[in-house]
Amino acid sequence: MPTEPSAERGPWSLALRRFLRNRLAVAFLALFFLIVVFVLAAPLWANHVADTGPNQEHTVDKVTVNGEEKDVVTPEGKPIGPQWFGAGGKFFLGADSRLGRDEMVRLMYGGRTSLQIGITAALIATIIAVVLALLAGYFRGWVDGLIARTLDVIWSLPVFLIGLSLGIALAVGGLKLGPLEVSSGSIWNPIFVISVFTVPYIARPIRGQVLALSEKEFVEAAIAQGASPLRVMFGEILPNLASTIIVFFTLMIANSMLFEAGLSFLGAGVQPPNSSWGTMITVGVELLNIQPLLAIVPGLMIMLTVLSLNIVGDALRDALDPRGKARLDAALQFEAHAGASGAVGGSAI
Amino acid sequence: MKKLGVVIAILVLATAAVIGLASCGGGGDTSGGGGQKGGHLNGTYASFPDYMDPALSYTAEGWTAMADVYVPLLTYKHANGEEGSEVIPGLAKEMPKISNGGKTYKLTLRPGLKYSDGTPVKASDFPFAVERMITLNSGGSPFYLSIEGAEKFAETKQGPIPGIKANDKTGEITINLEGPRGTFTNELGLMFVAPLPQDTPVEDLSANPPPGTGPYMITKSKPGKEWEYERNPYWAKDNGPAMPDLPEGVVDSAKMTVIRNPQSQVDDIEQGTYDWMQNPPPSSRYAEVREKYEGTQFRVEPTISTYYFWMNTQEPPFNDLKVRQAVNYAIDPAALERIYAGQIKATHQILPPGMPGYEQFDLYPTDKEKAKELMEEANPSDKDITVWTDTESPNNEAGEYLNEVLKELGFNTTLKIINADNYFTVIGNATTPGLDAGWSDWFQDYPHPNDFFQPLLAGESILSTNNGNFAKFDDPAVNKQIKDLGAEQLGPEQEDAYKELDKEVMEEAPWAPYGTRTLSTFVSDAIDLESVIFNPTFGHYLSSFEFK
Repeated sequence: MPTEPSAERGPWSLALRRFLRNRLAVAFLALFFLIVVFVLAAPLWANHVADTGPNQEHTVDKVTVNGEEKDVVTPEGKPIGPQWFGAGGKFFLGADSRLGRDEMVRLMYGGRTSLQIGITAALIATIIAVVLALLAGYFRGWVDGLIARTLDVIWSLPVFLIGLSLGIALAVGGLKLGPLEVSSGSIWNPIFVISVFTVPYIARPIRGQVLALSEKEFVEAAIAQGASPLRVMFGEILPNLASTIIVFFTLMIANSMLFEAGLSFLGAGVQPPNSSWGTMITVGVELLNIQPLLAIVPGLMIMLTVLSLNIVGDALRDALDPRGKARLDAALQFEAHAGASGAVGGSAI
Repeated sequence: MKKLGVVIAILVLATAAVIGLASCGGGGDTSGGGGQKGGHLNGTYASFPDYMDPALSYTAEGWTAMADVYVPLLTYKHANGEEGSEVIPGLAKEMPKISNGGKTYKLTLRPGLKYSDGTPVKASDFPFAVERMITLNSGGSPFYLSIEGAEKFAETKQGPIPGIKANDKTGEITINLEGPRGTFTNELGLMFVAPLPQDTPVEDLSANPPPGTGPYMITKSKPGKEWEYERNPYWAKDNGPAMPDLPEGVVDSAKMTVIRNPQSQVDDIEQGTYDWMQNPPPSSRYAEVREKYEGTQFRVEPTISTYYFWMNTQEPPFNDLKVRQAVNYAIDPAALERIYAGQIKATHQILPPGMPGYEQFDLYPTDKEKAKELMEEANPSDKDITVWTDTESPNNEAGEYLNEVLKELGFNTTLKIINADNYFTVIGNATTPGLDAGWSDWFQDYPHPNDFFQPLLAGESILSTNNGNFAKFDDPAVNKQIKDLGAEQLGPEQEDAYKELDKEVMEEAPWAPYGTRTLSTFVSDAIDLESVIFNPTFGHYLSSFEFK
């Protein structure tokens, strides 16, 4: 049987084949799915194994380990260490602090929060960035100037310091933007902060691509046929950005998770008693000298998740657009040139 | 032999001279304590004081930071423990002469005193300081509202306060009270009313603290970060000789840096990067530090304090006595002992051990079932509440504990953890929304039980800003008792009355008290631990630190 010529396959099928050839990426994709399954299984573990909730305190409780009763927290305030399966899965990774909460349960629920924030913030940032990039790249002129300058301003801000200040302010007072009202402990506060500050990281390179694409013949043809700007932007240009957007989205999930971990570590992200991997590191650091796993395990989970998303993101870029890097460079050069000549009011990245 | 005799004679004379010089104490290179005189002290706090302004600060951090900078007319003896509770003359020549049935206090300013900017201290600086403090709505103002005309001044902000007469020529200060007040001598020893130059702006001066009269002056203050001290240039010649009971201090300068991570603080002290930490080591390191350094670099300091959870008695759901009692039954002081890693001793009442009038009782022994029953009976309609605590460990965990207890009782809670620098400012401001319940502590201002009732539980102490009565507890019968007892000098009869008042207030359950705290002194290897004074009112005195 002769193999089907590749020219007859669709671009997505080709991309899948190229992706599957990258064994490292496939392995890390599998790892990412494992992590997702792990955090989704949180209620199962909490209800059927650990028999406790993520915020349930056991400060004065005892646990039976291999037939012997032990304090979950000693009178001197030392939380119990990892018991693995010695207590039937209870306190598998020990207690998280002097409040005696089950570290494993908090790790699973915390992972849910971290992933939820990472994915939602990346999704919001990507949608906003794509819309802004399309508007700036298509209309050019003052629209581009306004959007590009706004992105420049956000880009030039000390992201983490501003994010931290904003995070703390929102953690105390919540968020009120017109009809939009978010209470102070909500995870929508860190999502808002992360989304706002990651928009330029996606919008600027995509704007470069839009600038390049809007010069193409198919766009000119669509305009000549009387297509409206909206139709051109979303019907003609946007589909050609799909591969870039998917890659950026994947990488932004990783970035957002790291941002969240940083904000939560500094007290400006997820608010206690809820856990995220970032807040768990904060709590663990205090007990580093007596229970080092309390900080190491959530740190490891963040590292593995971010690493897998980065490797998968890189592999997706290679698979979806083998010439993507060259094209991206060209787009950036185009933008730089246009910015220098003043034609589109953009600036070099 | 003749030469040998001359050599021996020279050696004997030289030895005598050395011994003679050494015995001169402060004049030489060594201090009275045997340590080195001079040097620069690097200290660290876990949070910046609430205010770096003597009229406004009402936290242990603030009082420790300013105790050697601002001297009131009276002050507390620079000594550890009970001895440190003795009130002694400060800027005043001697203790006040009390007459007119306990309503008139007469003091005379010591002559020749100067502020650290060279301005001479005048008797009229005292009424200025009182008026400034009341104008700024200081949390300390309720102590002084019994001065004739002070309440009216607090309302109108129009001076002068008729109850204070000051004569700049003679240095005489006469204070007339509306009625006798048994604690007024103690209250004159607080730095809320430490005299200040009359050109001092009537605003929070935390970023630019005003000049003081103590042995040190604050030369730089960066709120939230750090502050620095140098010797007051007018201490050695003017103020020091005039106030011989106050020590001149050993180190020449000091810098205090805010390090919010107490783990780092401990590491820094061990490595000698810093010489002292104001707050105790974190609970996770407490046992280790104590075992390793007790007696050499570490010392446990008992305190007269109460740690408690407050509930807003004026708003639902905590305006219902049964709900407040339910919370008291649900709180387990034994759990909080563990959260504080043994640095707290469980109590369940307003007055702490060591305070006159203290007698142990527990109206609400932990009983979760009883708590749930009371909640069912009360069945509050409003179950959405906000729980407040600060960022400092383990107070943040204590707040989390309260949050979880309230959830178990059926409330929908939102936990707000506020930076420790401005926690009390935030929860003490009436405009802050959602002040339902939260964590707080109280260390004695002076050894009088009224200090645990009047500023914290009297109706008149409910202020719009810098409020200290977080429970907003305002019971007319209790208010009357606080006022009546406060007017009397403390004796066995009054102590018995305070015992009853303690029970009476706990029956109303505005708080869920859970313990009394021990603090600590932890210094680097370079500091002489023996010399460090921990005063029950002001904490560690900067003037007591000396290098070995």
